Amino acid sequence: MKTPGLTKLRGSVTVTVRGEQLEQFINALAKEQIEVWNLTPISVDHMRMEIVVADYFRLRPLLKRTGSRAHVDGRAGLPFFWNQMYRRKWFLIGFLLFCAGMFCLTSLVWDVEVKGNVKLNKEDILQTAREEGIYPFQWTFRMPDQDKLSKDMTRRLPGTSWVGVSRSGTKVTIEVVEAAQPKNTELLSPRHLISKADAVVTHIFAERGQPEVGIHDRVRKGSVLITGQQGDLSVVAQGEVRGIVWHEYDIESPLVRKEFVYTGEKKEKGYLYFGNTAIQVWGYGKVSYDKMQTLTRLDPLTWRSWKLPIGWMSENILEATEIETQQTMEQAAARGMEGAKLDIKVKNGADAVVLKQKILHEKSDNGKVYMKVLFEVEQNIAEELPIVHHQGE
Amino acid sequence: MSRFTRKLRKWSVDVLDLPQDLVFDLPRLTMIGNKQLLIENHLGVLHFSSEKLRLEINQGHLEVDGTGLMIKAIMPDEVLIEGFISNIQYLGTGAKP
Repeated sequence: MKTPGLTKLRGSVTVTVRGEQLEQFINALAKEQIEVWNLTPISVDHMRMEIVVADYFRLRPLLKRTGSRAHVDGRAGLPFFWNQMYRRKWFLIGFLLFCAGMFCLTSLVWDVEVKGNVKLNKEDILQTAREEGIYPFQWTFRMPDQDKLSKDMTRRLPGTSWVGVSRSGTKVTIEVVEAAQPKNTELLSPRHLISKADAVVTHIFAERGQPEVGIHDRVRKGSVLITGQQGDLSVVAQGEVRGIVWHEYDIESPLVRKEFVYTGEKKEKGYLYFGNTAIQVWGYGKVSYDKMQTLTRLDPLTWRSWKLPIGWMSENILEATEIETQQTMEQAAARGMEGAKLDIKVKNGADAVVLKQKILHEKSDNGKVYMKVLFEVEQNIAEELPIVHHQGE
Repeated sequence: MSRFTRKLRKWSVDVLDLPQDLVFDLPRLTMIGNKQLLIENHLGVLHFSSEKLRLEINQGHLEVDGTGLMIKAIMPDEVLIEGFISNIQYLGTGAKP
């Protein structure tokens, strides 16, 4: 309560005083106005007290006069703390160096990341960034302002509409938004469009080039439909030419139709597998099916998105059988026709349309139906032919 | 202090209603419960132990008894005592002021 102020700052010592005339000593302290506090008697000629460090050295004459002896028991306060620190100065220096090192390392750029580039080369962007002052082991405080960086990078990188530079911690992220470029058109050499089959033209549209034929014209295979030769100029002939083409098909279709079906009987087998070895756990016993199909399902142990090479394998063995159905001639013929039409679509493009079909010949023999059919198909008949310039000769 | 000055002082104290400690150098004791005691106008410590503290005052002695006594602070004419105080006694103060 009455302790002098700021003793922690000035430093205080706890002193044990031993002597016969302690009372005189206390009176002398009071008279000299030496700041002491917490005077506690221990025994008749012992006393403990606390005193400010600076005043400790003023005690000596008083001690001498009263025939007492003083012994320092404890030290407290900032000056003693500094002393202690000074003794451990290397430890302290190490600690400060560690802090400084930590600060330095965290204020370096460690990683530069480029995001959003599709056509632009990552190295080019990094090179530009380096010239702007963003590179690994650069001081973050030496980096220019982010909006300035962003503006300069956008200006320096051709083909970008915006470049964003952001730093989080020791990582710099360069986000690139590429400018939309007009599509590059394919380079084609001058050509004609010629017919790929004998046909009757039903539709002709020349995007480029000069149409050579009209609707209802008969054309031979290889004759020019749209020419790429316009006067002295060779152009890339482009357009759409459709015509009616005749296709003759020899169809054979069996009267007996075989189908593969499940009977409904099944057997399950369970395995534990490790890598390439599987150990059967259940479903022992022979499988007595004539025809069967096995469906295998792997169920590996997963952890997050990782699949471990250990897991459960289940096998379903399904009994199957073949059913034979007898068909009438009409049914078999229809199936054969369907197959032929599909074949036409596959060979002549999906936009081919069968206009007419004519069965020229039909017979049934050896459990099969044989047919000869003529299809009238409207299809694309244009084919490209490059224009070759003969020079010299 | 001569007899005349003493008389004069007593008269002025009575007439002007002054506090006596200022005029007669009498000790002023401020006590907080039995835990703390501030004594002003003392003239020095005569005996100091954890059970007994005897102080010299203007006329005679002042004895403070208790347990675990300690001097919290001491100044030329002021002393602050802490501990469990059980008894305060004036000794040798027979003489009339």
